[in-house]
Amino acid sequence: MVIEQLDPVRHRIAKGARHGMRTDVVFYASGPILEQVQKDRALEQAMNVACLPGIVGPSLAMPDIHQGYGFPIGGVAAMDWDSGVVSPGGVGYDINCGVRLIRTNLEKDEVRARLKEIVDQVFRDVPCGVGGKGHLDITEKQLNQVLEQGAEWMADQGYGEPSDIEHCEERGRLKGADPGEVSARAKERGRPQIGTLGSGNHFLEIQFVQKVHDEEAARCYGLEEGQVVVLIHSGSRGLGHQVCTDFLAQMGAAMKKYGITLPDRQLACVPIQSPEGQAYLKAMRAAANFAWANRQAMLHFVRGSFQKVFGKKTRLALVYDVCHNIAKRERYEFGGRTVDVLVHRKGATRAFPPHHPEIPADYRAVGQPVLIPGSMGTASWVLAGNEGAMRESFGSVCHGAGRLLSRHAAKHGRDARAVQRELEERGILVRSETRDGIIEEVPEAYKDVDEVIEVVHEAGLARKVARLRPMGVIKG
Amino acid sequence: MAEYELLEHTADTGFRVRAASLEELFARAAEALVSIAVDTARAEARERRSVECAGEPVEELLVNWLSEVLWLLEGERFVPARFERLSVAGGVARGAVRGEPRDDQRHPPRIVVKAVTYHQLAVRAHNGGWEAEVFLDI
Repeated sequence: MVIEQLDPVRHRIAKGARHGMRTDVVFYASGPILEQVQKDRALEQAMNVACLPGIVGPSLAMPDIHQGYGFPIGGVAAMDWDSGVVSPGGVGYDINCGVRLIRTNLEKDEVRARLKEIVDQVFRDVPCGVGGKGHLDITEKQLNQVLEQGAEWMADQGYGEPSDIEHCEERGRLKGADPGEVSARAKERGRPQIGTLGSGNHFLEIQFVQKVHDEEAARCYGLEEGQVVVLIHSGSRGLGHQVCTDFLAQMGAAMKKYGITLPDRQLACVPIQSPEGQAYLKAMRAAANFAWANRQAMLHFVRGSFQKVFGKKTRLALVYDVCHNIAKRERYEFGGRTVDVLVHRKGATRAFPPHHPEIPADYRAVGQPVLIPGSMGTASWVLAGNEGAMRESFGSVCHGAGRLLSRHAAKHGRDARAVQRELEERGILVRSETRDGIIEEVPEAYKDVDEVIEVVHEAGLARKVARLRPMGVIKG
Repeated sequence: MAEYELLEHTADTGFRVRAASLEELFARAAEALVSIAVDTARAEARERRSVECAGEPVEELLVNWLSEVLWLLEGERFVPARFERLSVAGGVARGAVRGEPRDDQRHPPRIVVKAVTYHQLAVRAHNGGWEAEVFLDI
């Protein structure tokens, strides 16, 4: 594999590198990250994505890229809306896995003084749902409404405020969802799990704004140094997982019908305009809406926790909610023409620049907030979208720190209690429903999130707004 | 007790199982999946369910089989303790599962398995028997 360095942060694998590639792979990395990304099969997967029919522009990979299934995690691929394909693997099993950032009117020291109390309260109020059940009981009819209406449905039931909806990507609801395309199994798996966090890398963190890098944007997002915020990282739970499973199974046969052959079964795809492609998109949008409703319910629970501990005057407002596993139809100026594309973001975040009409009016002057969760116990970031992302990455940037060690390797020689104690010594309280939840997510298992952010900042895809430090961590 | 070997993957997890026959291979793979998700030490064979699925080639059939088992665990909330009377032939796998309703106290959850993937999926002949490698999204 020949990697050509284009500038300090941009690299290319030319399309001739392997038979079947229709376009180049372009990825973003700096020195240490460049070494790390070559340690697993992530770049090979980005080359496989470059083989997909109808791809527009390069197969892109962000600096948090690591090996996934089919698509690399941290990958972006835009497919021509008329002649391209849609790939459930390019969205992932956790459809609309995403992040929401909530600001409070509390200072770091006030929360630090009662940290144990608030962490335990949140741990009680926000179910992890590892065993499969949450606090909410919804009927099948209500579930169908959730699948159509997303976060809005939850707010209408009293689980939220109108400004919460304003501050979600797509206002927390993808249009064109059809609950009829979601299988009975997916619904049954998801229904008891609404309002639950999940396990793996999902978490809820109580954090504070450690440093503001862009005063204007931070002010616009209502953030200042020392302020306490809450970050929730979760997705569409069993419902989304089952939707992806169902469609991947069907697409094996459908690909034969459309004469598509691929280097990896996991990349299974069909033409966007085929009945199978349209059915998947309708189901995917429904699952995405479930995820927004899910994160909305958790925001409501956290509001309750903070008010129980810090009093009724405590205010929690949603800064923004982004999805980082999704496929969306968008338009770009690319290669001297307007392209109408389905952008697959598999572990990548939309990053629209200032003045983009899709951004909430109160943020339009500075650009879309981009939320990048880091690893447990390190840091997370708030960025703002830049023009650079529109020019070269189909309005996308990275989504996290990116894993470095396998879960198995992360566990090796580590003890959950010792990890917990070590974090406590650094002022970070951790509560987890499972022992493995802590140990598999140790900070050492991830790349340095600051380095990842530096690359996208340097590349001009997004700019640094604020660095957040955790104080309390809830994990499944 | 499930017998399997864990395989490395940056973000998720995989396992390798070996068996003398395809039927035993499918049972071993199902046991591996279940024990990655929950602690099955106290799972008792009190109730019986049946599982059946189709798919070709055999790799596709194994993914579909394991997806059925995952459905039992996550959808029907049933913890399999034992797989029996399996048959794997002609693109169809079927068998009986004995186990009990899921109870987090008795079967402490380990991690949520989101799905069974096709990533580096392999089913092959090995030393006169069979070997399979499967990766799970978690």
